[in-house]
Amino acid sequence: MLVEFQDVCVHLHERPVLHDLTLRVSEARVGVIGSNGSGKSTLARLLNGLVRPSRGTVRVDGYDTVQQTREVRRRVGFVFQNPDHQIVLPIVSEDLAFGLKNQGVPRSEHASRVQQVLADMGIEHLAERSALGLSGGEKQLVALAAVLVMRPQLLVFDEPTTLLDLRNRNRLRAILERLEQPVWVVTHDLELLDGYDRVLVLEGGRIVCDAGPREAVQWYRSHCA
Amino acid sequence: MIHSLYVPGASWLHRQPAVVKLGVLMAAGIMLFLLHHPLPLAIAAGLALVLLASARVPLARIWAQTRGLVVLIVALGGVLTLLQGWAATMMVLLRLCALMCLALAVTFTTRSADLIAACERALRPLERRGWANAAKVSLALALALRFMPEIYRRYELIREAQAARGLRAHPVRLIVPLVISVLKSADEIAEAIEARGFPPTRSQDPP
Repeated sequence: MLVEFQDVCVHLHERPVLHDLTLRVSEARVGVIGSNGSGKSTLARLLNGLVRPSRGTVRVDGYDTVQQTREVRRRVGFVFQNPDHQIVLPIVSEDLAFGLKNQGVPRSEHASRVQQVLADMGIEHLAERSALGLSGGEKQLVALAAVLVMRPQLLVFDEPTTLLDLRNRNRLRAILERLEQPVWVVTHDLELLDGYDRVLVLEGGRIVCDAGPREAVQWYRSHCA
Repeated sequence: MIHSLYVPGASWLHRQPAVVKLGVLMAAGIMLFLLHHPLPLAIAAGLALVLLASARVPLARIWAQTRGLVVLIVALGGVLTLLQGWAATMMVLLRLCALMCLALAVTFTTRSADLIAACERALRPLERRGWANAAKVSLALALALRFMPEIYRRYELIREAQAARGLRAHPVRLIVPLVISVLKSADEIAEAIEARGFPPTRSQDPP
């Protein structure tokens, strides 16, 4: 899955957030790190058209994220930092079916696809639970399941471990390692990036280091800590 | 503990289609306002209570969902008795109790996805005339069902945080931070909905 940024600038509320970003990424595991306010989440949001570039173009698998947003969103799944904001319907199985309905998947297929993805993640016991009664870790897993059920070809995670305790963090990490799709992870959790193919370090809206995980994390620690 | 409205179960009410339950609720609501004598209203309230009981929802759950309403109804009863006398008050209270039992019987036994689907179906004719967007109205209903308990949870958190700092409960002090917190979340919820492909593409289901 090729992701291309061409001369991308983003201004939010008239404030520049990303500057002149040109990048081609085809690696399967990509990490994005940087200080708070460095533009990491904005970069991630560009990938499925949640943020539109003020200048330049972003293409995912050849599709322009502005002109062909629907095609892009079919391919790119986005997992937010706070699962409370991502779970839209009150019951877990209903929430998972929400994305399928939006994709136009026939209703007769919803139950089997939902069951399948919950079983794959080992959380089938949550199917009929209320979203309100779930723990933070369970909510994050449900939010991920709600994206996986839509069978995206690329997954983007925005600080997925920030609200998790150690056990759930390790559980999520294990699930991330098992995913077949290419994954982009925006994170402050540097250990999460072990074994990644490529890590981008952002500062002040620019990529200041683009390297393997060891080199990039070292650069980040020495320059931004 | 805050619960979602739906209670999984296998009662006969659970098995009825959402559209039928909503239709009966609407018809019963209209009929209740056409009754103007205490006896038929008492019978209607009794029947609604029996209907709610037949949903086999635990009493504790019903109480958790209704205690706020019960307080409101009792307070309303007090005021109305002073203003209009006990006979008129009795009719208003019986009507409200019947409506509450019927509405609870529907929400306790109907999955929100089914309620939303029924609402969408009902709005289709209006959508064809360009008067409504069924998907958007249904999503608004879904969000209300999902986030009302969440807003109550936040209200409790803010109240506790203020109490921990020695502040006594005051409506303005509670509502302002609550509204700000809800508005801040609204942006991210909207993004999440968009990211999951809303508005929907045309379904491959038969119409």
